Amino acid sequence: MGLHQFRPLPSGRMGILWTLAPIRDAVLMEFGCMGHMVYAQAFLKRAGVPEACKLYSTHMDETDVSLGGIERISRTVEDIVRRDQPRVIFLLPSSVPEMIGTDLPAVCEELQPQYPNVRLLPFGYGGFDVSLHRGVAEALLLLVKALPADGKRTEKPTFNIIGSCGDMFRFQADAEEILRIMEGALRIKPLCVLTSDTSVKQIEQMGGAHINLVIRREGEPAAKHLKKRFGTPYLVKRPYGVRGTGQWIEEIAQILGMAPNRDFVDRQQKEVKSLIAAAVPILRHFTKEQPTEMCLSLGAHADVVQGILDFGCGELELPKGICWCDCPEMASDLLLYFTEEQWTEAVKTQKKGLLMTSGEALEWAGKSREMQISNPDTKWRINPYEPPLVGFRGAVNLVNIWVNEIFGD
Amino acid sequence: MNDTVHLKRLSGVKSNTGVKFLTPAASPGNHCPMHTALASVGRIRGLSSLLIGTPECTTYGRMIIPKATGKNGELHWLYVLESREVVFGCRDGLTAALRKMDAAGAKTILLIATCVPELIGEDVEGILYEIQPEMSARLTYVLTGHFNCNSYSSGYWKTLEALGKLMEKRQVSQRTVNILGRLPKEAHTPMPRLISSLEQRGFPLRYLAPGASLEDFMNAPDARMNLVVSPIGQPLAERMEQKFGIPYISLHNLYEISAIDKAYGDIAGMLHISWEGEFETDRQAALGLQEKAKIKLRGLRYVSTFIGPAMIIPLAAYLADFGMEPVLLHIEEFYPDDKRYAKELTAKGYNPLVCHMVNGASDAAVLEKLSPDLCIGVLPGGRGAFPCIPDMPQVNGRIGYERTSCLLKKILIASDNAKLSASDEVKTSGKGGI
Repeated sequence: MGLHQFRPLPSGRMGILWTLAPIRDAVLMEFGCMGHMVYAQAFLKRAGVPEACKLYSTHMDETDVSLGGIERISRTVEDIVRRDQPRVIFLLPSSVPEMIGTDLPAVCEELQPQYPNVRLLPFGYGGFDVSLHRGVAEALLLLVKALPADGKRTEKPTFNIIGSCGDMFRFQADAEEILRIMEGALRIKPLCVLTSDTSVKQIEQMGGAHINLVIRREGEPAAKHLKKRFGTPYLVKRPYGVRGTGQWIEEIAQILGMAPNRDFVDRQQKEVKSLIAAAVPILRHFTKEQPTEMCLSLGAHADVVQGILDFGCGELELPKGICWCDCPEMASDLLLYFTEEQWTEAVKTQKKGLLMTSGEALEWAGKSREMQISNPDTKWRINPYEPPLVGFRGAVNLVNIWVNEIFGD
Repeated sequence: MNDTVHLKRLSGVKSNTGVKFLTPAASPGNHCPMHTALASVGRIRGLSSLLIGTPECTTYGRMIIPKATGKNGELHWLYVLESREVVFGCRDGLTAALRKMDAAGAKTILLIATCVPELIGEDVEGILYEIQPEMSARLTYVLTGHFNCNSYSSGYWKTLEALGKLMEKRQVSQRTVNILGRLPKEAHTPMPRLISSLEQRGFPLRYLAPGASLEDFMNAPDARMNLVVSPIGQPLAERMEQKFGIPYISLHNLYEISAIDKAYGDIAGMLHISWEGEFETDRQAALGLQEKAKIKLRGLRYVSTFIGPAMIIPLAAYLADFGMEPVLLHIEEFYPDDKRYAKELTAKGYNPLVCHMVNGASDAAVLEKLSPDLCIGVLPGGRGAFPCIPDMPQVNGRIGYERTSCLLKKILIASDNAKLSASDEVKTSGKGGI
């Protein structure tokens, strides 16, 4: 990755840790120098991830490094089991054990018979070229491979959300909006919100759901696995905008073979249209007058960019500016990945217009922080009740942000 | 089950490696030296940094220094190792990065090498030696691998010492005194009377600690002497003595009155002044407390936990003079100097268990089983089985007679509480009474 002035792309290890940390009734134990876990805890607190999963570190010293010692792992597991009696211990290597080649799965296999009532679940994928997104995908997949129990589908339709994770900006508010819409439009309840609001028990029950809603592409391997094992259909999509959210509801209803609650959907769409009615003409006026400058530019997770772009440029017909995604593996001909050098250049060229990207980039560029749609963040986010970016309420929120940005400019 | 069987005794410990965890599951554990190195750099005006490590170190490092550019134009950039560099080294990448920082206007750059660069054995010193002649910026470095230690203190002293490497000889001013380890104003630490007195006598004082400017550090070799008031200043003082012949007097580990008398006398001698009984009131107060301590503290068994930046082993060596028995000591950082104090303590007949504590709840349970009379330091998770002295950090930053008095007052109060709780125990167990 080389030289950076801004936060680099987080590692796969960080993706795994942030994904597992919100799971209740579990313990996450990292094998490695403990300073890392202290930082991770601080990061999670700022990101608004509650102290659900107990976080521990083994630490390691020169002797462990040079001799490949693993005694700390067994002693720490023993201590945790004795005091916390967790149902599951997630074991994660930090960068140093990854480098010296500690075989965590083998260690877990050896220790497991001593703890018949505690599941030891090793996670890996910590190579130096593995980025955050692959770590998130790996964590989601391994969770659904290891924990869901056999069982029948629930009598009444239910669903799981897959991919609501602490690394995404506004992850809690977005998940909450999806739950609200599912309740209102289809009258169905969740079994598991993986992983931002869930417990070990809820993950065990995931096989009972009638549909899996995958809200980021990293969740697709997990959904595929659940489809294979339980036959659960899934939809990979984030709902943005008025029309987009309506279509998303229709697709879910079709998969489930249900009719959506038209009254709810109509009322929601009518309400959004009414709320944004005064602002949309202003947006169009400004963007028509200066289409090359007053355009919508986005830099974030590929699914977020695509969703907001569909709403802004598709539904509202705003001119499209420069768009990029924050993960090289998600780049395509239509959506490029920008390195730090590229995105800083792109941000510099966006003197006017609607630029939505990470908090760090906006702060550096002296732009309004209201335009944040992705991380890295530079602020604390302990309030899960901020308005969402997805769904009907997200549409109102986005238009509200855009019109204020235009007047702010 | 013996919860302390895995621990070493003080006589068997020569470095941080020998200091084992009391209980194994760190939660939350300690920050690493990278944290304090960054915290120091971020507060030294004019000093830029290049943090070398994994995405974890560099991302989380931004919690400490949030922006790439400091208020005074310092550059705080990050270098993330690629997998190829983990195998083959990062010499080329680092060299290119330093050239860019030089071209961007960094005046002095501290390279902070974290665990992985230290582990792969990257020759940071060699790289700097090679590239320095072609650069305008001055370069220095610190190694902050966390696997070498249990805590974060070394990030402070290594950073200050690394600045010592950049210092060049200056013409000595006979009156300038460097104060190593504190700033002129500190929120929680009153100005020691000794330093105020020097100031009143017109000695130009230069405070060298995180918060000073780089210029202050670079000018430091012009001083007549260094006064060390915190452990983080000791390695820099030693380096300056070795490199420039500047004498130093360390005050942060002195408790015994006669030792303080000698240190104050030496300072006066070096500066050609007489204190004229200026500290006599403080001295008498400390002596009085020492006399009380001799009577009241004898035989008290104690454990120590986190006490802030103070070094516990010299403290324990002093308390041994009163017959206080250290049962188990928490070592935050095993400083190079600690070997000397460990010898002193063992020579007085005490060889306590030593450990590092990283989990308040489980550590407290083990300490309670040891049934000490009191605990020096905080005990999160404790059930109040014995009195604690949680406000030990108040002792830090004080020096001389004030430090001794502050310490002894706290211990004497705690020992009174210890005796009270012991007598309560006797009453409730039914073994006491007339």
